[in-house]
Amino acid sequence: MESLDDVIDAMIADRVIHRHRRKWLIALALVIALIVVLLLTGGFKEHKGRAVPTFDAPTTVQAGRFEYGFTEAKIIRRPKTDYSAAEAWLQVYFDLKNIDTETKAATSMQGRLLRLVPGGGAELIESNGASCHDELNVVVVYGLPSQPCYAKFDVPADYAEDVVEIAVLAEEYKSDEGTMGADEKPYWHSAGVPHSVVRLKATIETEKDE
Amino acid sequence: MKLYRPVTVAVGVLFVLLGGLTRLLQPDSVYEDPTRIITRGAIGEDVRYFDSTVTVTRMRFAKSFAENKDDSPRVDTEGVFVAVEYDAVRGTKNPGNNDVTLTADDGSVYKPVTEIIEASITFAEPGFARSGALVFEVNPSDVVGLTLDVHTTSFFNVLNQDLAIDLGVPDEEIAQRSIEQAEDQYVIPDSVTRVA
Repeated sequence: MESLDDVIDAMIADRVIHRHRRKWLIALALVIALIVVLLLTGGFKEHKGRAVPTFDAPTTVQAGRFEYGFTEAKIIRRPKTDYSAAEAWLQVYFDLKNIDTETKAATSMQGRLLRLVPGGGAELIESNGASCHDELNVVVVYGLPSQPCYAKFDVPADYAEDVVEIAVLAEEYKSDEGTMGADEKPYWHSAGVPHSVVRLKATIETEKDE
Repeated sequence: MKLYRPVTVAVGVLFVLLGGLTRLLQPDSVYEDPTRIITRGAIGEDVRYFDSTVTVTRMRFAKSFAENKDDSPRVDTEGVFVAVEYDAVRGTKNPGNNDVTLTADDGSVYKPVTEIIEASITFAEPGFARSGALVFEVNPSDVVGLTLDVHTTSFFNVLNQDLAIDLGVPDEEIAQRSIEQAEDQYVIPDSVTRVA
């Protein structure tokens, strides 16, 4: 049998719960309304500008173990023939120098260190690496003067831009975290971090039929 | 529950003993890198490489090079080219693959040029010898103490053998004289395989 005390306790608890019910409901409704508004307006997305500096060519950029002296850019178009579709590629010209004072090692430039920024949120396009004196992926020796090279980027056949933007990535010379047992000797991390963007004026050339 | 039963203690002692046994398996001498032995040599010296033999027969400075005499284009440099000709006699064991670099006293590391395909010491079939040439583009102000380093890349679970072959550029004077006397054009000799 329930005692009177129990009944009174139950009544008090009931009152306590119900006393601020409307306020709680209003607060909850407000939170839901806020969430709906945020979702509809695109949320708390942080709109950031470019986090790396932008330079206009001609300019010299020192990124990682290379120094690039950007000069010009050419869009080269190959018209379609009976046997092949039309294609186009972008050639970016620069003077390449090995400035690796850490290891002084000769090395060839990796294609992913230069990327074309097509704009409009499109994926970046990696280059094919540095071609110097008509040889792809030349080994660049530390201590020798810079040599003229170019990098190719595959672009759609109808690609036409007056100004192209090239993202330069810098390799980092650092060691891995030793706490997990990795060797702590530093080395060049080839992944690269964004270093800068270079803006070049592009001219369009069409390959002539042979 | 008894935490330290005699079996538990025995297993612990066993692990300690095993640790000591693995120490016994390590090589007697202390090297900079305990997984590799570096064998040193000089030009003309037969250097053991596993059960094969590598001999650097000739070293040349050159201002340019070409792959063969007639039609291949001449490759120029603002530095200088160093051509290393070698002779490799293959033993029965597979010597695996290797990386070849040149190192100099001031710390520069040079790699074989991209224009020719040969970028490491290539071995023939067991019992045969093969001669070949490697070409490096080199900074003329850092050639003193030029050494050919052969670094085995194939095996990571055995005691590896590396070679360090001195190319005979002991000081600045000899270096400058060799560069001045560099031949105008080096033509890469055809590689020859013969019975050892």
